[in-house]
Amino acid sequence: MHSTRLLAATSSVLIAASFAFADTAAAQSASESDFSKRLDQLASELAKVKAELAQLQQQQRTAAAAAPAPGTATAAAAAAPAPAPAVPVSTALGSGLLNGPATVLTSYGEINYNRPTNDSKNTVADMRRFVLGYQHRFDEKTKVVTELEVEHAVSSSSDRGEVEVEQAYLERQVARQYAVRAGLFLMPSGLLNENHEPTAFYGVERNFVETAIIPSTWREGGIQIVGTYDNGVTAQAGITTGFDLNKWDATSTEGAQSPLGSIHQELQLANARDLSVFGALNWRGVPGLLLGGSIFTGGATHGQSANSSHVTLWDVHVRYQPGRWDFSGVYARGTISNTPAFNAPLVGSTTLIPKSFDGWYTQAAYKLWSNDQYSLAPFVRWEQFNTARSFADLGAGLTPDAARTERVATIGANFNIGSGIVVKADLQRFRQNPDANRFDLGLGWSF
Amino acid sequence: MRVVLAGAIATAALTPASAFAVDYMNADQAARLMFPDADRFESRPVVLDADALQTLDAQGVRARSARWPVKLARRGDQTLGYVVSDEVVGKFELISYAVGIGLDGAVRQIEVLSYRESHGGEIRLPAWRRQFVGKTAASTLRVGDDIANISGATLSCTHVTEGVKRIVAVVALAKKTGLFE
Amino acid sequence: MAQRRWRLASAMGSAALLAACGGGGTATPAAAPPSAALSAAAALGEKIFRDASLSASGRQSCASCHDPAFGHSPPNALAAQFGGPNLDLQGTRKAPGIRYLAANGPFFFAADGAPTGGFFWDGRARNFAEQATEPFINPFEMANADKAAVVAKIAAASYAADFRTLYGNDVFADVDGAYLRISLAVQQYEREDVDFNAYSSKYDAFLRGAASLSAAETRGLALYNSPTKGNCAGCHPSARGADGSAPLFTDFTYDNLGVPRNPELTRNADPAYFDLGLCQRADFANRGDLCGAFKVPTLRNVALRQAYFHNGRFKTLKDALGFYVQRDTNPAKWYPLDGSGTVVKFDDLPPEYRVNVNTTEVPYNRRLGGVPALSDAEIDDVITFLKTLNDGYAP
Repeated sequence: MHSTRLLAATSSVLIAASFAFADTAAAQSASESDFSKRLDQLASELAKVKAELAQLQQQQRTAAAAAPAPGTATAAAAAAPAPAPAVPVSTALGSGLLNGPATVLTSYGEINYNRPTNDSKNTVADMRRFVLGYQHRFDEKTKVVTELEVEHAVSSSSDRGEVEVEQAYLERQVARQYAVRAGLFLMPSGLLNENHEPTAFYGVERNFVETAIIPSTWREGGIQIVGTYDNGVTAQAGITTGFDLNKWDATSTEGAQSPLGSIHQELQLANARDLSVFGALNWRGVPGLLLGGSIFTGGATHGQSANSSHVTLWDVHVRYQPGRWDFSGVYARGTISNTPAFNAPLVGSTTLIPKSFDGWYTQAAYKLWSNDQYSLAPFVRWEQFNTARSFADLGAGLTPDAARTERVATIGANFNIGSGIVVKADLQRFRQNPDANRFDLGLGWSF
Repeated sequence: MRVVLAGAIATAALTPASAFAVDYMNADQAARLMFPDADRFESRPVVLDADALQTLDAQGVRARSARWPVKLARRGDQTLGYVVSDEVVGKFELISYAVGIGLDGAVRQIEVLSYRESHGGEIRLPAWRRQFVGKTAASTLRVGDDIANISGATLSCTHVTEGVKRIVAVVALAKKTGLFE
Repeated sequence: MAQRRWRLASAMGSAALLAACGGGGTATPAAAPPSAALSAAAALGEKIFRDASLSASGRQSCASCHDPAFGHSPPNALAAQFGGPNLDLQGTRKAPGIRYLAANGPFFFAADGAPTGGFFWDGRARNFAEQATEPFINPFEMANADKAAVVAKIAAASYAADFRTLYGNDVFADVDGAYLRISLAVQQYEREDVDFNAYSSKYDAFLRGAASLSAAETRGLALYNSPTKGNCAGCHPSARGADGSAPLFTDFTYDNLGVPRNPELTRNADPAYFDLGLCQRADFANRGDLCGAFKVPTLRNVALRQAYFHNGRFKTLKDALGFYVQRDTNPAKWYPLDGSGTVVKFDDLPPEYRVNVNTTEVPYNRRLGGVPALSDAEIDDVITFLKTLNDGYAP
């Protein structure tokens, strides 16, 4: 430590001296050759100082490694080089500093096949998602996480695919228990939104409660703080962009399929005069159990109308995985305020803005069979959702009827191959819309 | 705990300032947590030969590396147990952890040394780590079986569990073949 | 405010010009104070727009048939205006309104093949300027002999000096160049003058939250929007854009409604004559599928207009809407009978093109003898709503 300080002092003196010297020397054109010779000399001395400094630091590191067991000969321990496992590590014994590659490529993909059992002419096979992402670690505390998605294989002005940035955020650990995330990130809502890879959920298609009510994959731009506590609680809170009610298209059925999905902005030239706030609490204190909930609320009109409206979405969720079982349940509810003012010019149109929409599901899966390479987990899921649970009154004959609650029963199985590949099959039955009953097959991967 | 505190101060004075939460402790601190009665830790790297690797494979354990840095917890002439530190990938980032195994080959304790993933920090919670206590090479040691998952951190849980299983098997095999004599 | 003075002056001006459309009236435009907001070219364009001396008759200006007091539509119920040197030659089609066309561009075929855009009933002009060049030399309208005649008249007008100041002293020497600048000046006026894009109707106030609709108007709007009742919004959208822009009540496409033949048009006395709309254009002569299609006009200020559709066949909104919903349920009410007493549906199209008529979209997708999509009372409600689309609403 002492020598280090001395070395540092010496090098700074040398640097200062060289600058001072350069100042006075520049004025004298006659001694230019002297000047450059002197500079060369300084440069080589500086290089020597740097080398000595590096050597000292290296000695310190090895001394530190040896220190924890005082009074014992641990030269052998210090001298034995750490073995090289498959993943590259630093020489410090498990210190965890800057291990692993700084940049990691991530990806997941889903190829789905849907065959309506009563309507086979609408059978579709689709490269539903192809996602490429990277995570780059700047230093031990800071990283950037991004994900780029291609939907439906081909995206162009005359094709139906889409390319979108799904995530792009920076995360920095600011304290022992707190990290800050800023950028475009997934909202902590439900069970699926933040964990939506095909290997993370049962069934070929994502469940309806978490697509029609919670508009997975739902992301907003903003800033959040994540707190991870020793009692198993993870708390998140932040400020983000929100929804845009001005985008509501009463002439299409999009709003009836997913109210929030039809007015999300995805940080695409998003109207941001009205920001939203959110909070999420998740407790994982007991191994295999997750209990949590979230709430999100914010303005959705951005001053583009004389009226203002708020969108609120909250959920509670539970997941319990005792042994080979995997139980889960989610209830989510969304509300939009002041809808009469926004529905007034839209009266009579196909899809008016609902006042509330909600849904819930319960699911049970069981790992029936597994060996170290494969596992088979059948599951059943029952869900009920209503994308227009109620409409605010617009007057007699003008107020739309509430939508009928759809009930979907799904039974199927996930077959996992290795770590990161899944083959799925399921049957879905729709109470309100039997034409939609279908048999699905899926292939997915994630790494 | 007294020992840990003293050790922590000594270490901090000499190592460069570590990062915040991502690094909870280093391997030596973990070792002393697991064997507070030990007065020293001797390094006994285990080198597995082809036969050993095959044996492990037959048990369903992929050794991943032929060389394992095992430390013996010693007190005087006695061996109290074994400590192995290792790293596995969670989802994208490396997780450093250490496993303490008793003379009977059963896990005494596992500690997470550093965790950098955005999710799944709950593997550090005592309740989750406690599940490994008493596990031996004969145990199933699989997530979704005898080890509970942490929702949203399946990969971290799975890889750490695999790592512990691997370490337990390696130590058991090394003991049986007398590598620690 | 300058604008309000402007409107008052234009009202006075148009009163004087009213007679010009039908014959008689003053030759010089009423003196109107220029709006401070217009550029030099637009101010010139306005003078040109109102200058009746630019016609062969000396009594017809642009404003005669595109009357600002009537939503820049004709101030009468004629199926086609009379023009020519003696204002006794009947035009071919009803003079269209020229408001709310700022978003309209040149004609093109959309990705799904739908004809879209363009000025005139058949979209043949690409912009205001191109549209302005035709009436000057149309023998049935302002009937000047050629461009040179028009240019000469401008050169002799009271504002010729302003024209020279803006475009150069020798602008009148080059006929084509001067004619182009005349049309550009008129275009500039039509783009800049707020009257062409006022958005001052009651419905606009309602959209801004500054007014509320009456019960009948709300009922009418609901019928207008409903895809199973009026479905007017299908071609005449009433909703604000996602970017907050006010609705224009047209999607700028084309439709073939099979409007009955109008005997008021003298050309229709010849049974072999048909106005085929889009396919009458030289560049679409071989597009039989486009025969009978005409531009969808804006419904803003529709209640100010007194004749409807390209041939001015109907004079009241009640008749126009009645036609929409009863065309197929009760065709005998709208079409003539032939010798044997059978209804000749779509009689304004030759038989081979009658298949082009739109029979699939609500409300004209009903069967003979069926129930019309809108009842009589419902039509009245829709008309009540349509009246909220007139500019110049003051609570």
